[in-house]
Amino acid sequence: MDFGVIYRNWDFLIVQGLFGIGNFVGGTLRLAIPAMLLGFILGIFIGLARLARSAWIRVPATVYVEFFRGVPLVMVIFWFWFILPVVLRIPLPEYGIALAAFIFFESAYLGEIIRAGIQSVPRGQIEAAASSGLSSAQTMRHVVLPQALRNMIPALVTQFIVLFKDTSLASIIGYVDLTKAAQIVNNREIRPFELYIFIAAVYWLCTYAMSRYAQYLERRLAPA
Amino acid sequence: MNYRFDWSVLWSGQSGAWLLHGVLTTLAMSALAWLLALFLGILAGALRTAPLAPLRALATGYVEFFRNVPLLVWMFFWYFAAPPLLAENLRDWLFDHGAEFWAGTMALGVYHGARFSEMIRAGIQSIPKTQFEAALSTGLSTGQVYRLVVLPIALRLIIPPLTNESLNLLKNSSVALTIGVAELTFQTRQIETYTAKAFEALTAGTLIYLVLCLTIAAVMARVERRFAIPGMIARVGGAER
Amino acid sequence: MKRLLISCLALAAAALSAGAARAETTLEKIARTGTLTIGTRTGSPPFAYVDKQNQWVGFSIDLVEKFIVPALSKKVGKPVKVEKKESTPATRIPLLTSNAVDVIAETMTDTKERRESVDFSLTFFYTGAQFLVKKGSPITGIDTVAGKRVAAQQGATNARILREKVPTVQLREFPDQPAAFQALAQGQVQAYTNDGIQLAGLKAKAPNPNDWAIVGAFYSNEPYGMAMRKNEPDFRNLVNQGLAEAIESGKYFELYEKYFGPKGEVPYPLTSEAKRLLQAAAAEFRKTPGGALGSPGK
Repeated sequence: MDFGVIYRNWDFLIVQGLFGIGNFVGGTLRLAIPAMLLGFILGIFIGLARLARSAWIRVPATVYVEFFRGVPLVMVIFWFWFILPVVLRIPLPEYGIALAAFIFFESAYLGEIIRAGIQSVPRGQIEAAASSGLSSAQTMRHVVLPQALRNMIPALVTQFIVLFKDTSLASIIGYVDLTKAAQIVNNREIRPFELYIFIAAVYWLCTYAMSRYAQYLERRLAPA
Repeated sequence: MNYRFDWSVLWSGQSGAWLLHGVLTTLAMSALAWLLALFLGILAGALRTAPLAPLRALATGYVEFFRNVPLLVWMFFWYFAAPPLLAENLRDWLFDHGAEFWAGTMALGVYHGARFSEMIRAGIQSIPKTQFEAALSTGLSTGQVYRLVVLPIALRLIIPPLTNESLNLLKNSSVALTIGVAELTFQTRQIETYTAKAFEALTAGTLIYLVLCLTIAAVMARVERRFAIPGMIARVGGAER
Repeated sequence: MKRLLISCLALAAAALSAGAARAETTLEKIARTGTLTIGTRTGSPPFAYVDKQNQWVGFSIDLVEKFIVPALSKKVGKPVKVEKKESTPATRIPLLTSNAVDVIAETMTDTKERRESVDFSLTFFYTGAQFLVKKGSPITGIDTVAGKRVAAQQGATNARILREKVPTVQLREFPDQPAAFQALAQGQVQAYTNDGIQLAGLKAKAPNPNDWAIVGAFYSNEPYGMAMRKNEPDFRNLVNQGLAEAIESGKYFELYEKYFGPKGEVPYPLTSEAKRLLQAAAAEFRKTPGGALGSPGK
């Protein structure tokens, strides 16, 4: 056992691998945070489309959700990796490909959370809002979404934890995240046990902190 | 799109054989990992509701540590970091008999076991305490109560989330390509490597995954109806991946 | 005002033409952006790797930056900067065909099959497939690997050739070299097959280089070339100009010495055969219409 390997490569593993500050456009957090935000925005549209009255909107959204939920993320990453540059006709860095793959993939899951959140708002609220003269869009914006958002916060934090862990898969296409950084160092030093236990601990610390926060929120937001 | 489609790459040469081999590997690995995960999940789930604090702590430690670290890291761990801890001849035997397959199975099983256990715990805790006490008062031991009363009911209650989680396990088996397991996604890449036809290869792999997932979901829906306990609606969450 | 209108129209026209049938050529793109994007490796010392200072460097990166970029800059009349992206055997061709990179500068073997989808530059390096084993291993070459566990890289040519030549070999394919070498170092496999130079690079980088041996005669020939999109003769000639000039002036051999000499990153002596082939290829290129000294195609 020689945990000196961690000390010697601390900068590369943590500063470059986890935060993405360095020579590579990489970093676990640099991928996870924008993917969550943008995935959430897309997810709102997906969630609303799943609840639409018109089948023309509802069915494609359902197909979208079922598709992404029925395919491994690794497969989705490969799809984006091979197909996206061909379709867009522009060069894309790994970061862009990984980000796009995560946004679309996560938006299917986030869309479902949002749909459940909207459905958790009692019908009486919507009827009351409508009878007070609000349009359906206004009802959605001022009455339903604020409450729905509050109800889904715990599920969203949980989903963010999942996404945070999933970003390790971006290393398969060469994106330099924490996992890839450990691999690059291992390539030089051949210390798999120390390196993998160390990054497991780093991932664990981050996700454990987040899941405790989720539990705290759940208790705080629980309907009294 | 300056891309020429050529779907024939999927049934010419070795592509068909590769895909079939990939599906079988994916299914075999998922099935074994699922059994391991169910065993660990039931054990840890039951222990977490046990009346003894050290047992609870042990189970909690297992669940929290394995669930909160990416599966890919566990793949590397079981394949690269764990074997040196074994005796040399056993290690060599393993490496000759598909160590990457077993490492992948371990990684999947142990990781999903931690996630199964959370659902099983929720299932157990959804059973009223009075039922537990009633079973004890009929003279059953704690172990018997778990085996004969609590677990059978809990397992029925969690069929829907368990199905969801089992499908996640199947999909997650694709991560094993990183340690050289020739499963379905690996074979998809193999076809792409030999033919340079990414689109066709990925389509084939994707369709197979979708068919597998939809079939399993349909079968489990029937099982759920068959075993449903009238008057007990499962209120057990766990719809994350 | 008029000028503004014209420039707006020009912009609109440019935007429209971008979506029109004729995509811009690589040279036009480089002239427009002032950037040459190369696909290269992170773990193939000394061709392309991340060094101890965590800089992305290597022989093939230097070839591009020292010889090809000047030729390009001269052609487009402005400084050209190099942007590096990671490529792997499985992603090289898609990266090129999707315009994600302009040239693959790493350890890509020039093969007949690959020539169907990409164009190659002059050969800039000669090597062949061998085996890396622990010192004292019973494996001494391709005739001793039957039934043994051998690691290879998914997407590399030698995995395919080995499977054809020795069907009983237990081949384990890994997505990248770090994983494959790790498997060898820990006994998951008994040998790792790749091009001799790659193995020399791994050996030089290993914690104890003397624990490892590179064995066997070349069971396949691997001439490395830089890959480009098909049917862009102007761009290819420029790349070849840069390489030919480096070989003729002897600067190529200085660079070779820097990376592969006894003090280099990876000691791998240049055989007289390889040197002769390199010079012959450069001379051959000079005889082609695009190979004349000075700027190609005016």
